[in-house]
Amino acid sequence: MITGGKSFVASPPAFSNDAKRLLVCTGNTVSVFSTSTGLQISELEGHGAQVTSVIVVPASSPASKLMCYCWTASLDGKIKYWDFAAPELMTTIDIGSPIHSMVIPSLLSQSTESNGKLPDLFAYIYTEDVKQKEEKKNCLCGQIQKCNLTKSRIVGGVTFAKTRRPGSITSSPSGKYIGTYEKRKLRIWEIPEKDSEHVGYKKIRLHHTKSFTALAFHPTERVVAAGDVTGRILIWRGVGHKTCLNDGKLINGGINKDAEDKPGVRDDDDADSCTTWHWHSSQVNVLFFSSDGAYLYSGGREGVLVVWQLDTGKKKFLPRMGSPLLYFVNSPDPSLSSISRADNQIQLLRMPSMEILRSISGIKPPSSHMEIYEGFGSGVVFNHTSGLLAVPTENYRVQFYNLFDDREISEVQIYERNHQPGDEITVKVNLVALSPDGSTMSTVETRLPEEGIGSLVSLKFWACGAQNKHFSLSTVIYEPHGEGGISSIAFRPTSHMAVSSSYSGDFKVWVRRHDISMDDQTVENGGWRCHAVGSYKKKPMTAAAFSGDGSVLAVAAEKVITLWDPDRNTLLAVIGDSLEPITTLSFVGRSEYLVSASRGSDPHLTIWSMSKLSVACSVDKSTFAVLALIKPSKHMESTEDSLHSAEGVIMLFNVENPVPLSTWFVSKAQGGGLSFVRSSPKLEDEVTERKASDEVLAYINGAHEYVLMSPYGEQASNFSFSRQRNFSSLEEKERFGYASIYGELPEFSLKIDQTPFPSMSSEKTWKTIFSGPSHSLPPLPKLCSDFLESLLERRSALVEMRGRGAEHVPLVKMESWYRCACESVLMIQQLLVEGPFPFTFDGKHYSGI
Amino acid sequence: MAETFPVKPKLRPTSGKSTPTAESKYWKSFKIPKDIETTPSKSLNYPITSLSFSPVAPHDFAATHSASFTVFSGKTLEPKFTVKDFSDAAASASFRCDGRLLAAGDLTGTVHVFDAKSRNHLRRLKGHSAAARVVCYPRAADKFHLFSGGDDSVVKYWDVAAEKCVLNLQGHKDYVRCGDASPVSDDMFVSGSYDHKVRVWDVRVSSAVSVAELNHEKPVESVIYLPSGGLIATAGGNFVKIWDVIGGGKLLYSMESHNKTVTALCMGKVGRVSGDEAEQNRILSVSLDGYMKVFDYAKFKITYTMRFPQPLFSVGFSPDSLTRVIGTSKGNLYIGRRKGKVESEDLGDPVGLGAVEDEPQRRVLRPSYFRYFHRGQNVKPSEGDYLIKRPKKVKLAEYDKLLKKFRHKEALVAVLSGKNPENVVAVMEELISRKKLLKCVSNLDTDELGLLLGFLQKYSTMPRYAGLLTRLVNKVVELRAEDIRSSDQLRGHIRNLKRDVEEEIRIQQSLLEIQGIISPMLRIAARR
Repeated sequence: MITGGKSFVASPPAFSNDAKRLLVCTGNTVSVFSTSTGLQISELEGHGAQVTSVIVVPASSPASKLMCYCWTASLDGKIKYWDFAAPELMTTIDIGSPIHSMVIPSLLSQSTESNGKLPDLFAYIYTEDVKQKEEKKNCLCGQIQKCNLTKSRIVGGVTFAKTRRPGSITSSPSGKYIGTYEKRKLRIWEIPEKDSEHVGYKKIRLHHTKSFTALAFHPTERVVAAGDVTGRILIWRGVGHKTCLNDGKLINGGINKDAEDKPGVRDDDDADSCTTWHWHSSQVNVLFFSSDGAYLYSGGREGVLVVWQLDTGKKKFLPRMGSPLLYFVNSPDPSLSSISRADNQIQLLRMPSMEILRSISGIKPPSSHMEIYEGFGSGVVFNHTSGLLAVPTENYRVQFYNLFDDREISEVQIYERNHQPGDEITVKVNLVALSPDGSTMSTVETRLPEEGIGSLVSLKFWACGAQNKHFSLSTVIYEPHGEGGISSIAFRPTSHMAVSSSYSGDFKVWVRRHDISMDDQTVENGGWRCHAVGSYKKKPMTAAAFSGDGSVLAVAAEKVITLWDPDRNTLLAVIGDSLEPITTLSFVGRSEYLVSASRGSDPHLTIWSMSKLSVACSVDKSTFAVLALIKPSKHMESTEDSLHSAEGVIMLFNVENPVPLSTWFVSKAQGGGLSFVRSSPKLEDEVTERKASDEVLAYINGAHEYVLMSPYGEQASNFSFSRQRNFSSLEEKERFGYASIYGELPEFSLKIDQTPFPSMSSEKTWKTIFSGPSHSLPPLPKLCSDFLESLLERRSALVEMRGRGAEHVPLVKMESWYRCACESVLMIQQLLVEGPFPFTFDGKHYSGI
Repeated sequence: MAETFPVKPKLRPTSGKSTPTAESKYWKSFKIPKDIETTPSKSLNYPITSLSFSPVAPHDFAATHSASFTVFSGKTLEPKFTVKDFSDAAASASFRCDGRLLAAGDLTGTVHVFDAKSRNHLRRLKGHSAAARVVCYPRAADKFHLFSGGDDSVVKYWDVAAEKCVLNLQGHKDYVRCGDASPVSDDMFVSGSYDHKVRVWDVRVSSAVSVAELNHEKPVESVIYLPSGGLIATAGGNFVKIWDVIGGGKLLYSMESHNKTVTALCMGKVGRVSGDEAEQNRILSVSLDGYMKVFDYAKFKITYTMRFPQPLFSVGFSPDSLTRVIGTSKGNLYIGRRKGKVESEDLGDPVGLGAVEDEPQRRVLRPSYFRYFHRGQNVKPSEGDYLIKRPKKVKLAEYDKLLKKFRHKEALVAVLSGKNPENVVAVMEELISRKKLLKCVSNLDTDELGLLLGFLQKYSTMPRYAGLLTRLVNKVVELRAEDIRSSDQLRGHIRNLKRDVEEEIRIQQSLLEIQGIISPMLRIAARR
């Protein structure tokens, strides 16, 4: 059994110390991705429920940059400590109640004076009191607790706050504050320098008239930023000034509390001033201060990342991300950060210039507006032969997802329009069909009318390129059935033929024609055209299917099934008379059995024998949401039975027998899909002698998580297949000594090689560090160390030395290194002149140059 | 960051014919030259019975009509002179291989020989007892002989200088109406007759019997040798046949695409202007049905068809493949000329002038030259270079930019003031998918509303846009009734709109009537 399609964006990811790995919470596991390739490297398995936070132990010194330890917290009430390089589990702490959020501020504050022994490590966790929740509906079940990680126990008696619902805790980058928000209130606690089990906390509250949705702390100053549901960003400065003073030395009781003194601050909140920025039109999800505190990153449902210059309020944008933003995380490497988008995608950004380097994408989540429009199917389509899943996404694309590798393959833009995530959906890709061989795709997109004008249905056929496997548009048909919507599309297995059935009472058979140009080259410009139109008593056609050998076309006309000869377009027979409109039709593999399903008040699942044109058997159920079934050779079919609570049942039937063979219970079945998928996609040639065990049942639920399982369950013990997880390794090997500085020595042969060396431009890091305008660069102290490090970078040994002896190599290397260093010194001098920041520079080290 | 998508109009179905082939472009490029288009002299009032081009540059051509023939200049395409020394209708003009002499027959049976330059009447060859319909000079090098054929069913081979008939070739049993000389041999020629037969003659065979006989199965109207000299194309009835003479008179292909009698054939060439890319030969056939067809006899395929309004009698194609002339039964000449280098009279410079000057030495570029800053920018990639394409810049129109800024009304106004209705509809559709169209409509001020109503009046009855626009008209009138009433100009727009809609309704009704008439017929037809 394989599961997959987990959400990558349920909680914020974390970078490793060398910024080469990204730890992403994916359901019950934490997946480690390489930031340079975007591929998965390893996985931390062990939690029994969803992982809610992952915290990488930061490196205290440059030497320990290779340390790969992290803490994770999960809804199963456990905190675990991992070495994610290995990967192996080190420690487990059982808390007992689900943890929704965890911060470890003492990791960040770096309590240095560790004379001999390290101080205890404290985590602050947001837990949910399950017991109380069960007892009373309306209680304060969320609470923030303190946990001593070193002694692995909860610090008793310290409960910071109780809330209705567990939310998230934010800690300041310096580790001095932690904070949370609930409704219209911010609560901030100051963590004392020396944290122990029994210390007092200073508490600050900030109020606002709208509900908060995001919170961020300034790395150095007492500045707090918070976003609310209306898109405003509030920035309080001098937060907690008074509290500290009061606590600290003298109480200046005489200091007046004039309103002028604290512009914008409500009532008696403890802050010096409060400013409001309003650019976002809907709620702010992301707030993040840059590491030097000069900039504030914000993002929200519009899918635009805004960079605010904190002092002036000037803005810079990264627009058209196409999906609401959820988290922004920066890495120890100042030129890399990541942004998580609501469409299950994490994008790595190169920092000052904010260009997207790489995307890590999971399966696209279902559209949030799906339920609103009746008749819009979920549209998730399986490809039987190649183990592919085609998912229509919200931004008018279709994503192809490999079920076995749990990896996105490609995306196709179906409708060329800029998607604004905040807007309500008016255009939707609502049907996708793949031909059995995967070479053709057909999509239907619908534009909803504005007060009755301008609705449009367009049917598109896409052809798959032979080499690059990318789909390209072949034919567009506007309003193929007049005004009527399309209920289903089916491809004929044997030839280039498709059928689309419409609610307006007709179906059309489409064929692809091959254009042969004058110059005897067959042009792959075969467009699709209408071959035939059929209708039955003007009844709405609700479903269509081709038989396994392509000889019969079955179209459901509301309550009856009509059978057609697809080539000659003649009506062969009319069968059945169900009580409810038929919603799904499917042939059982290559056999003669046809299954029809209807939903509604009296749902039925009916199996028809084509040879006798009679009901073979009929199944009665309480409610139905029928999905799919392809099962060659074995007479099988399965349905999914979804109750109103979105709990579903998958049943496996034998065709001759109305009693299900096996049954599975699943959750979130609404809008799900079901299909048989061939488990070994590579063995496409051996179609004739396939064993039943080649087939696995794929089920995807409404939240687009999927399961692959053997249809025989435990009975078929011979069925065993494991997922071939081909994790790509971290591609870079660590190198030592000479090679680590200068790269590998080139292989020299004494005879002169005539072929010229490839003239790749070796990328110099110091060129990219300074890219971007000077005001948006990271602070100089940060830049300087990177810059100097880059001078010692590994050059990839591409200096041209044709026909020289190997003994000259080091000399040449030194020369180029020297020149490089000289240039850099000049540059630093320039920076010294211009730089507005305090700047320390170890001049001694390079004084010899 | 996702790319921006400009608003695009809906795709329109292209016509079934794909892009014109290179060949049809070539044949279309024969256009009536502008400067002589209006000259009335090209209408000669009588059927043009034959057209022939001079084999030497500048390729003058002669057209016979009634009792005269006219020689046209190959350069200017203007008539040079007309010769009327015939006592009856002239039949077949033919240039000698050097282009100096011109021979033509007339219906009395006499063959006349003229000087092509001075128009002097040099010889009269009398011998045919009936109309001499075919006169043909050998095409290779022979300057002293010609042959003629007549309605007395005799083909005669003449010694021109002596005005003497050398050979009387008998064999045809009906009028001899066409003939052609072999392009490779001076002694071979072919004649076609109304007895359905085509005979190949060789004057070296003294027996005066044809060396080959082909049966066309219809009265032969035209016969030509194909350039290899081994193939013959014959026309008669509504088909053209191609024969392999060397291979024993085998029928290779029969082209039957004309609807009426094919009257004339000639050879045409297809190729580049410079002629470097192997010129390909084509057969041009014209017919009484008014079609000219171009036939590729290598692939046995019609490659081009062109229609003329009158029955066509004769066709000619200049050897330099720049001019195509077609004569009709009404005396019109359709002259088509392709753009191209007219071969210059003198062949380049006198060779004796010595060494041609070298190209000027490339000067070293310095930053003081403007070209210095452009150096290397026009370098063409060589064969093995890996090309890195610059990402294509998305072109954003005014309305796209406004839409990007969510300034919907301005975008609508911007596109309305443009010309292209497709773009207007595309912007409207985009606004619909943003649910902003009606808001825009209600925000328009009077001038802008006038613009919108003007557009709606023009296009709302067009079938392609009607589905969207008629509904929009209803909404606009509903929303802005007050403003429309208060403005005279807008009332005028509405009046026009009403008129157009009424007109459209009338059309629809008459269409429905027609449909009512047709549908029973279709049903009856389907039942059978």
